[in-house]
Amino acid sequence: MIGAIRDLGSRSSGLIEGMGQIATFGSELVFALPRPPSRFGFLLRALYDAGVLSVALLCLSGFTVGMVLGLQLYTTLTRFGAEEGLGAVVGLSLVRELGPVLTGLLVTGRAGSAITAEIGSMKATEQLDGLRMMAIDPVHFVAMPRALALTLAMPLLNGLFIVFAIAGAYSIGVSLQGLDGGVYLSGLENAVRFGDDVGQSLVKSLVFGALLGLISTYKGYSCQPDAAGVARATTSTVVTASVCILLSDYMITAFWDV
Amino acid sequence: MDFDLLFRLRYFDCKRRNAFRLGEPTRPSLDRTQRERVRPGGSTLQNAAEAPEDSRASYQNDRFIEVRDANLAFGHRQVFKGLSCQFAKGKVHLLLGGSGTGKSTLLRMIGGLQRPDSGEVRVANQSLTNLRERDLGQIRKGIGMLFQNGALLDSMSVLENIGLPLREHTKESPSAIRERVAEVLASVGLDRVEALLPRQLSGGMLRRVAFARAIVMEPEILLCDEPFSGLDPLNVSRIEDLLMQLNRDLGLTIVVTSHHMASSLRMAKQMILLRDGGCIAGTPEELADSSDEGIVEFLGEDGRAYLARLHELRERGEA
Repeated sequence: MIGAIRDLGSRSSGLIEGMGQIATFGSELVFALPRPPSRFGFLLRALYDAGVLSVALLCLSGFTVGMVLGLQLYTTLTRFGAEEGLGAVVGLSLVRELGPVLTGLLVTGRAGSAITAEIGSMKATEQLDGLRMMAIDPVHFVAMPRALALTLAMPLLNGLFIVFAIAGAYSIGVSLQGLDGGVYLSGLENAVRFGDDVGQSLVKSLVFGALLGLISTYKGYSCQPDAAGVARATTSTVVTASVCILLSDYMITAFWDV
Repeated sequence: MDFDLLFRLRYFDCKRRNAFRLGEPTRPSLDRTQRERVRPGGSTLQNAAEAPEDSRASYQNDRFIEVRDANLAFGHRQVFKGLSCQFAKGKVHLLLGGSGTGKSTLLRMIGGLQRPDSGEVRVANQSLTNLRERDLGQIRKGIGMLFQNGALLDSMSVLENIGLPLREHTKESPSAIRERVAEVLASVGLDRVEALLPRQLSGGMLRRVAFARAIVMEPEILLCDEPFSGLDPLNVSRIEDLLMQLNRDLGLTIVVTSHHMASSLRMAKQMILLRDGGCIAGTPEELADSSDEGIVEFLGEDGRAYLARLHELRERGEA
């Protein structure tokens, strides 16, 4: 009994300590943003790695998700004689929820894990220590451009995902099921409001990008400096970031209209 | 290890390349103005080293780097138990000890990468123990470190790796940086490798590039973790010559860990044997004459004979 209580206490203090460390790291990242010298070159390279290299995955996934949505929703709406509402339902569900969440999860698996593995292996091979010994702050040099790139890339990838998903749903609902294209698009246009729905989507994707940037760089930066440690950190990034994205999605949705 | 054979080979080699050793460096030594140009201005090391009082300066020079009563444990393994040692300014120090005695850890402590659990590390009369990372950066501008595995940034070319500290801490133009990089690369015997990535280099080339990066800013302290491992005999002597030249011409304080006994013993003015969490320090001659069991066991008969012979040649001015 005492052992169990001790274990609970130890885990709780470990959790609080971990949260403190990630908060400290996050503040270091934020303070590193405006500090010279500019890391614009590294930011562009990180944007290419996290953003451009994710485009194909996001387009393909978006189109597939849109096709599934089109098929499922058309069948369901037909039961109620409301198939004209396909565009509106697809648009709202993609813009408000599915777009940012699925983009966040996909980018976590593709770019977030890669960033953790890269920074972790830099730590294991003493490259971060090498930077410190050259009086270069690794947070400013390595972590900040990658975290910023994820934050900036996420809304753009989210937009791309939504556009391809809408096209996927169109291809099923209009081309395959015979719904009128004008009805589909006008339903979409009338239902989705820019300030409310697109704004929420943008805020969510920015928050998810920032969270993923923080978690993926922190996990790499703080991992055990060996192969097993890097592997654990990479897995932990995917799990932690996915849970955080889903939790924060709920929070933003719940508080958006308050 | 056949120290005698190594010694004879090396001694012959020294004679053959006498012109180089007597002050014809592979690259021209930089004058003071040039050194200031490539050195980050007003580093803490320089300021602390220029103490006005003679006696105080002498005291500080003898304790340019100082470890005081340091304790450090990794889990249950106690690496240092009250370790205290000093490194004098402008001398070459050799850290000896078996595997796991903390040679690399001591270098990391001097560089501020590893904090002791208790005790103090002082560099140029400044304690590193409670400094923040940003303040440590100021101290590190005056320290060059060669890591055991090179620690080159694998996404950057050789030129970018070596030029990085110059780009970060000086206002040199890209062409001047390129020129300086070519200069240090030549000094470690490399040519036309600037565009290559670290993964395209052999182990020996990689170590020499890492060495070039460690000295490109002409630091006041050079920490070398196994500088000779993975190098062929020609490059061992090249790096050894370069270290001695840096020590002689620029007055660098050098701390070396190495299992390459012949080169290390030849360079060292001070030896520190790490053992049982503490250390035994002395000149090579003192350690050679010591009857301490640990020293006798570590150096072996060959090592002691080698040191005695080296001492003899130094006395005659031939080595």
